[in-house]
Amino acid sequence: MNLGVSAIEYVLPSKSLSVRELEQAGLLVSSSEQLHSFGFDRCYISEESADELARRAAVALLGNCGVRPDAVDLLLYAGAIAPSHHIAGEHFLSSFNYPATKLQYELSLTHASVVGISQAGCMGLTYAVQVASDYLRGNGQAQYVLCVSADVLPNGVPREILYNVISDGACALMVTRNSSQNRILAHRSVTKGYYWDCIARKNEILAAYFPTAKNLVQDLLRGAGCAPEDLRIVLPHNVSYRSWEILLDLIGVKKEQLFAANISQKGHVIAADNWINLKDAMNANLLIPGDKLLAFNFGFGANWAATLIEH
Amino acid sequence: MVGQELLPKICSQQIVEKVFVLTRRIGVLPSHRKIEVVRGDVTRPDLGLQYDLRQSVAQATTTIIHGAAETSFSSDLSPARAVNVAGTEHMMRFAADCPRLKAFCHLSTVYVSGKRTGTIREEDLEHNFGFVNAYEQSKYEAEQLVASQAQRLPATVVRLSTILGRSLDGAVTKSGAIHYALRFFFHSLAPMVPGKKESPVDLIASDYAAESIALATFDQFTPGSTWHICGGSDAFSLEQFLEETLQLFYKNRPAWRKRAIEKPAIVNLETFYLFVRSVEELGESVLKNSVAVLKSFAPQLAYPKLISDASTQHVLQRSGLARPEIRDYYPKVIRFLLENNWEATPLEQARL
Repeated sequence: MNLGVSAIEYVLPSKSLSVRELEQAGLLVSSSEQLHSFGFDRCYISEESADELARRAAVALLGNCGVRPDAVDLLLYAGAIAPSHHIAGEHFLSSFNYPATKLQYELSLTHASVVGISQAGCMGLTYAVQVASDYLRGNGQAQYVLCVSADVLPNGVPREILYNVISDGACALMVTRNSSQNRILAHRSVTKGYYWDCIARKNEILAAYFPTAKNLVQDLLRGAGCAPEDLRIVLPHNVSYRSWEILLDLIGVKKEQLFAANISQKGHVIAADNWINLKDAMNANLLIPGDKLLAFNFGFGANWAATLIEH
Repeated sequence: MVGQELLPKICSQQIVEKVFVLTRRIGVLPSHRKIEVVRGDVTRPDLGLQYDLRQSVAQATTTIIHGAAETSFSSDLSPARAVNVAGTEHMMRFAADCPRLKAFCHLSTVYVSGKRTGTIREEDLEHNFGFVNAYEQSKYEAEQLVASQAQRLPATVVRLSTILGRSLDGAVTKSGAIHYALRFFFHSLAPMVPGKKESPVDLIASDYAAESIALATFDQFTPGSTWHICGGSDAFSLEQFLEETLQLFYKNRPAWRKRAIEKPAIVNLETFYLFVRSVEELGESVLKNSVAVLKSFAPQLAYPKLISDASTQHVLQRSGLARPEIRDYYPKVIRFLLENNWEATPLEQARL
């Protein structure tokens, strides 16, 4: 079995603002200079709903990956924030109007079961990939799991969370039983409930981030018999470059190994970063078959995850 | 840091008739019939004493233990020098006016060694490796001052390591940077420390420090000698220290385990300072406070050194004074800190 991510597509909104423009619009907490020094130049802001972005990403994926819609066995729909998991309406019952089910219908995924993944913050899509892998391992007949994530911050809220600049966006990927690329070699994740209150424990989360990340990544690499220098690239979640400089030293990875280009230009696309970065690294012809890739991610909740991938 | 433990030891010396305690503020001092508190200020050339009082104290004094110091690791050099260098100079000038003076004991720190690495011996002083903070530098300069007067002043230098707590019961009578750092660790606010896994973490018990100073000043006083009151070979490595602390938190606070707080990561100095700079640029005051404490002393761990106390041990053991073992009293100190909600307890209130 070559469980892996066989295809990726993503959608970013057409509207993009620089950190300076965000500051002028009152959409930052810190100064634009500070965020610039942390590695951010701009972000994307959607005027479309999250479910529409998700639909567009999924349509593009199905159009390109050669998998018939009715061959998809499972649809996993991830979103970091609560509004991403229902289609707003006046009536209370609209709380049960799920974008995942709507997507199944719109894409004609007639044989796909549908599950939403929430309460994992920016880890949603990474968890979806992990759940998809486990699902395929546990269901011998299943071949394809479509994973989608989409988030759009409410209009007018600050575009900065914990000193990171946030973009709206959606990403869709296909986890396939027999994938010709991006094989999932190993995965580790940890959830630390002590930090569940992201407001009250903000300082503690900032402090816990680094040692937890270090231990998790080292545990993953050790378990997989992979040395840091064996990694072709590290696929970051697009939090500040400054924080990556610190983390890279902790895990013994060189700066040149970090695929960092998207941090400044795309910002932190909530749950989608690692996979957008994988797609862009592939498009940039940075990878050859057999390359080992590390995806690391953190999400409020508090969740840390690291995935080792063989391209 | 050691004054509260030291005073009873001095008072218990049979040859001591009276103890003048020169202090800037009347704080919590152990009461004893031999103690006379004198308000003064070492930063002033006359020690802040009226002429008559200064004369009468000088006439009576046979022994001086100079422990007045600016011990804040975050102090700037100028205020640190004002107390630690100028204060020493003023005390030595006073000592020169004491006709019956037999002994001048200058309390210093093993970290006058600054950024030196390797083995540091009692006889080592001069170096040009630099210092981690102004406290170290000012104490180094003070020692040079004492050394320059060696021909005229019967002086000994006692270099103390980081004082943790009392070996008997773990009591902490005054909190220092090490206690604040442990508290930040407990509260998940200490993400990283600079250093190497094998960097020695040299700590001493307060009662051992006090008894050693008393010995160096009275029974075993030797002009021109330097003492290392430190853990020496009995020191945790940084990695052991963090692990031991974690296990003691688990043991004393079983419910704490479910917080799943990680040990601080051990990082190189460059990464540590990058983190410090990042936090200082942020508006998070709680984390800033933690980083401010750590950065004031923890970089010393990036300059691994073994403080040798071979010469000191030779004398102390002959005198029957054994150095408490860190693995015996460190658990008591952690228990004390947790039971007292991280508050130091002045001597009278400390549980015996």
